[in-house]
Amino acid sequence: MQHRIDPEKVGPQGEVMAHAIEACVHCGFCLPACPTYQVLGEEMDSPRGRIFLMKEVLEGSLSLEEAQPYIDKCLGCLGCVTACPSGVPYGELITSFRAYSEPKRRRPLFQKAFRMGLQETLPYPARFRAAARLGRLARPLKPLLPSFLRAPLELLPAELPPPEPLPERVAAEGERRARVAFLAGCAQQVLQPGFNRAALRVLARNGVEVVIPKGQVCCGALALHTGERERALRLARQNLRAFSGDYDAILTNAAGCGSGLKEYPLLFRGEAEEEEARALAQRVKDIAVFLVELGLREVPPLKEPLRVAYHDACHLAHAQGVRAEPRALLRSIPGVELVEIPEGELCCGSAGTYNLEQPQIAATLGERKARNILATGAQVVVTGNIGCHTQIQNHLRKLGQNLPVLHTVELLDKAYAGQL
Amino acid sequence: MNSLRPTHPKEVQEAVRSHPRLLPRGGGSKPALSSPKEGQVALELTGLSGVLEYNPGEYVVVARAGTALAELEALLRAHGQYLPFDPPFVGQGATLGGTVAAGLSGPMRNRYGGVRDFILGVEFVDGLGNLVRGGGKVVKNAAGFDLPKLMVGSLGRLGVLTELAFKVFPYPKATATLKVAFPNLGEALEALYRLAASPIELYALDLVPPNSLVLRLGGLPEALPARLERLEGFLGRRGERLQEEAEKAYWEGVRDLRDFGEGYLVKVALTPRHIPALEARLGAAPRRYMSAGHLLYLAWSGPVEALDEALRAEGLPGLILRGVVANPRIGLNSEGTFGLKVTAALDPEGRFERYAAPN
Amino acid sequence: MTPALRELEILFPKGLLHRPGELAPYESDALTAFRARPLAVVLPESHEEVVAAVRWCQKHRIPYVARGSGTSLSGGSLPVEGGIVIALNRMNRLLRLDPKERTAVVQPGFINLQVSLAAAPYGLYYAPDPSSQPVSTIGGNLAFNSGGAHCLKYGMTSNHVLGAKVVLPDGETASLGSESLEGVGPDWLGLFVGSEGLLGIATEVTLRLLPKPEAYHTVLAAYDTLEKAGEAVAAVVASGILPGAMEIMDSLAIEAAEAAVGAGYPREARALLIVELEGEAPEVEAEAHHLEQVIRSSGAYEVRVAQSEAERMKIWKGRKAAFSAVGRLSPDYIVQDGVVPRSKLGQALAEIERLSERYGLRVANVFHAGDGNLHPLILYNGRVPGELERAEELAGEILRLCVALGGSITGEHGVGMEKRAYMPEMFSPTDLEAMRRIRQALDPLELSNRGKMFPGGEPRPPSGPHPLERAGVIVRE
Ligand SMILES: Cc1cc2nc3c(=O)[nH]c(=O)nc-3n(C[C@H](O)[C@H](O)[C@H](O)COP(=O)(O)OP(=O)(O)OC[C@H]3O[C@@H](n4cnc5c(N)ncnc54)[C@H](O)[C@@H]3O)c2cc1C
Ligand SMILES: Cc1cc2nc3c(=O)[nH]c(=O)nc-3n(C[C@H](O)[C@H](O)[C@H](O)COP(=O)(O)OP(=O)(O)OC[C@H]3O[C@@H](n4cnc5c(N)ncnc54)[C@H](O)[C@@H]3O)c2cc1C
Ligand code: SF4
Ligand code: SF4
Repeated sequence: MQHRIDPEKVGPQGEVMAHAIEACVHCGFCLPACPTYQVLGEEMDSPRGRIFLMKEVLEGSLSLEEAQPYIDKCLGCLGCVTACPSGVPYGELITSFRAYSEPKRRRPLFQKAFRMGLQETLPYPARFRAAARLGRLARPLKPLLPSFLRAPLELLPAELPPPEPLPERVAAEGERRARVAFLAGCAQQVLQPGFNRAALRVLARNGVEVVIPKGQVCCGALALHTGERERALRLARQNLRAFSGDYDAILTNAAGCGSGLKEYPLLFRGEAEEEEARALAQRVKDIAVFLVELGLREVPPLKEPLRVAYHDACHLAHAQGVRAEPRALLRSIPGVELVEIPEGELCCGSAGTYNLEQPQIAATLGERKARNILATGAQVVVTGNIGCHTQIQNHLRKLGQNLPVLHTVELLDKAYAGQL
Repeated sequence: MNSLRPTHPKEVQEAVRSHPRLLPRGGGSKPALSSPKEGQVALELTGLSGVLEYNPGEYVVVARAGTALAELEALLRAHGQYLPFDPPFVGQGATLGGTVAAGLSGPMRNRYGGVRDFILGVEFVDGLGNLVRGGGKVVKNAAGFDLPKLMVGSLGRLGVLTELAFKVFPYPKATATLKVAFPNLGEALEALYRLAASPIELYALDLVPPNSLVLRLGGLPEALPARLERLEGFLGRRGERLQEEAEKAYWEGVRDLRDFGEGYLVKVALTPRHIPALEARLGAAPRRYMSAGHLLYLAWSGPVEALDEALRAEGLPGLILRGVVANPRIGLNSEGTFGLKVTAALDPEGRFERYAAPN
Repeated sequence: MTPALRELEILFPKGLLHRPGELAPYESDALTAFRARPLAVVLPESHEEVVAAVRWCQKHRIPYVARGSGTSLSGGSLPVEGGIVIALNRMNRLLRLDPKERTAVVQPGFINLQVSLAAAPYGLYYAPDPSSQPVSTIGGNLAFNSGGAHCLKYGMTSNHVLGAKVVLPDGETASLGSESLEGVGPDWLGLFVGSEGLLGIATEVTLRLLPKPEAYHTVLAAYDTLEKAGEAVAAVVASGILPGAMEIMDSLAIEAAEAAVGAGYPREARALLIVELEGEAPEVEAEAHHLEQVIRSSGAYEVRVAQSEAERMKIWKGRKAAFSAVGRLSPDYIVQDGVVPRSKLGQALAEIERLSERYGLRVANVFHAGDGNLHPLILYNGRVPGELERAEELAGEILRLCVALGGSITGEHGVGMEKRAYMPEMFSPTDLEAMRRIRQALDPLELSNRGKMFPGGEPRPPSGPHPLERAGVIVRE
């Protein structure tokens, strides 16, 4: 698409954005893939519409305030990237645009405080834990609170599992086949410590030595995707240091963190650490990809056949193109019958802090996802991301269904342990 | 003078401009439609005849509207091609224009579609005497309003057709026919539904009351025997097979509706869902349901009002092709203002017969 | 807000868009060379709401345009400056599917591909398959009589629409067609289909479903020249085989499709021919033998036959992604859509190549070879001064070439805004006058999609004269 953007004037990410807009041919192939378009049916809430709006803002013919509501509604799920035949790097565009626009926008004070609060708690397990406890105490007050504070309360689990500090190193069982560094994830540690436990056990069982480098912090994706570039850079720099050792790979079991790390080259564009960031990003792997490449040690058969629905986390499927590997892992468990979820490419509505910021759309999508899952008749839902896990579990419960929701490595771990 | 015989589109234009009331006529194979009434001048179009363009590699043929179907078919046949909508009354001398104007297709329309699906281009003289072209002479064209389709079934009401372009297809290298009798209509109809929803490709799928299906296969000769077997297997019963010349002669008779005898000759557009109720109403009238129950031809010897009544009761439109009546359109006529306005646009002065008394 | 708009807001409390940020994304369809800012967009959710919108427009004499997914490549759904866009995306339900009678009744915003998906459990499908199938709506398809790769045998949208409920420009409702494949009386529905939104808005469409073919045989043949591929098409036709589809892609299109979806095409080929047979298994098998002989003697240097449904889908995925994928090769491009008699394909392609050289612009070719329907994609960079103008000039020459060879200025993308200036090349003033009379009989104020299809008239692109105009290609009265 033609544009009149002057990249110079726009800032460091100007070229990136201009390139993305140029690549868009306005064909609309992304419309059916976009969850917000599916729900709202309006062009402004489609990828094509958003690209157009960003273009108009960057060209100076539309005010940021006019475009902002629709940019805000974008989940960043990147369903559009998968659907786009023209190769528009929408993820780079929206991230850059948010970084560009955040400093320029005026937010109401309470919203600012709320966002700041999120940024200051979610990435820090200890703070998050404290906040969550407070939140649970605040529950009886829910009806009195404004809606933007009600949503996060609903997402908090009734019980927080006890904290489980991770060891610094886990030895390989049997012959050592690889040595990796592990990113523990922030919210995940608090909400579902079991994910990391399971991951470490499965890796060890497969002859992988795991180091959990000290000094690692939140990957910064949360900050980056909400336009807080400076904060993201700060966090990312700490991680560059923490993960600088010599490992066969840097693993994560949280899709969002994985894609966050892979975005470092974009984040550091024009910074001194650009090369370093690229090198790190190249070594980052989702645990499922790593295990498939390594080759699983034999999994004992399940006691009874199990119908498993695999849910593609956007940040795995769309952002990293990881679809086949988790399925391959599940299929290698004898007794698992893998089923596909209708509209599987559509986001569940979790999307980082989205269900905190756009609770209505998030809830519509969550329910739609839950219904699609139920339509498969699966006994278990498996996914590779903490956000999806929470969202799907909540919405299944809302429909009165207690289908277990597991992380891919959890199912694998249970299978190894003969618990299924 | 109540009959004109133009030999050039210009003469058609002159005729239209100088006569307030006209009725185009191909040659009269559908006399109910082409017999002029009081005050009408008949416009004989058989003088406007001849194939204008034909390149077999294009699958396109262009001819004057008065060209006899028989002449055109002979030409196509010589190149292994045909008009896939299988127009009727070829043997009775029907013309291309009359076929389009009456909107008639035959049994083989089942395979690829009817006359509306194969008309590509049209040239006609409208009610103001203007010579108008619509569509084109290539197999695909999306420019402008689809006037060619509009003319299908127009009964000379929107203009006098002078030239027509059609898409044609290769004629199947071999054909074979299976006549299958069922214990009753219900079972025949059930089989018709099953066949129509199956991937079995039939050139004709006719229901012949009281309880038979006549099925025509076409394609490469080497595959035909196996396909006949499969067809019988699919139906779970054997049938009478027709092949070679006898088969061809059979279908020529069918499409020209030769065995229908006397009486009003009527076309009815329907869907198979209507067949049971119609069967209960039509008594002994000779008839045949073609194209998987979407097209009925019948010969009616009773009063036309009775048939009109029956069709209305079923919500179906009919067209009388032979037999003298005031209005050949019987049964349901749901034409609304859309039709009236378009008609008025092309024939503002009402030169042509309108037959449109919506009911 | 003007009083008129306030009235509209009362009619559409939840479906009116009028702020600049809401309107901007509706300014273009898939042909972004044209832009126009509407006064407002309404999002009706029922037939009655469409009637209300049309009546409002009638009352205030404000022109309007119906919009599906906005994938028109000819500016068909381009708004009329200051007019209303009636966006039908919320009317996207499947109302009925009758597997026995093989019909589906859908709302106009229902997506083409979804029809086939809904029909699949019954072994049925909806035949017209424009490349935009995953996005484009049935309403848009109907308005443009859209075609696709598989239209050689079973025709375009018009051949698969049985009936439509439409809102006429005066706000009246008309029911056109029926459920039968046959009809009595003029084919009003036939006129409506392909009328580009000028004669009314379809709110309910009855579609015909076909049984899914039992077998496919998909052949991919690679050639070292485009001519050879073109001749192969003629040879297939001459052999009396009637394939379901015959498509050609040239090297640029191959490159783009490979980059987009990795279809596994032979990258070095100068031309690829896709031929697909479909039908009953024994028949397809027999035809495949004949086809093999034809292709073998056509000079193909590599021939592949899809061995599974997955391989077949992969071949088609590349073909269907080719248009948008060209966006990877060039920042801007124009998709042209012209038809030539099949026997003139070779001549047309050679001429296009010559023109491409003369204008110094790359032209990629992807086309429905079986129908003679060319889709030259003219690559240009809008940031280079003068390139757009040259590209449009080249596009115009290609269209004139098609007409000169006895073809048409559009096979399936419609006239819309883009090609209205070329209508006189195909039709005489009398022809156009007759069409215009039909239009005015139904819409005396020419409110419905004003400015499209017919040469002359509004709307103008907001940024001064259209480049074609500046180049002297279009002349406005
Ligand atoms: C049983 C039978 C016996 C016959 N016997 C003889 C015979 O012995 N000798 C003989 O010469 N003929 C005979 N005919 C008539 C002869 O067959 C006609 O020449 C031939 O059928 C032409 O008619 P048609 O099909 O073209 O349509 P028509 O019946 O002429 O017309 C059908 C409809 O189309 C309209 N129409 C026709 N052409 C055009 C046009 N170009 N533009 C617009 N509207 C048009 C008419 O107004 C009419 O509404 C007989 C017909 C029948 C059925
Ligand atoms: C990448 C790409 C590939 C394409 N490939 C093909 C192809 O292979 N074949 C092909 O034929 N086309 C193709 N197209 C063109 C386009 O997809 C078709 O024209 C399609 O039918 C438009 O549908 P839409 O829903 O996007 O309609 P829109 O673009 O929104 O509208 C198209 C026209 O239809 C009118 N309209 C929409 N809805 C209605 C309604 N309910 N009633 C009346 N009028 C209405 C509009 O006013 C407008 O004039 C392609 C387009 C793209 C971008
Ligand atoms: S699919 Fe890609 S090129 Fe097409 S509109 Fe969407 S982002 Fe733009
Ligand atoms: S990232 Fe997701 S929500 Fe955002 S535009 Fe793309 S598909 Fe839509």
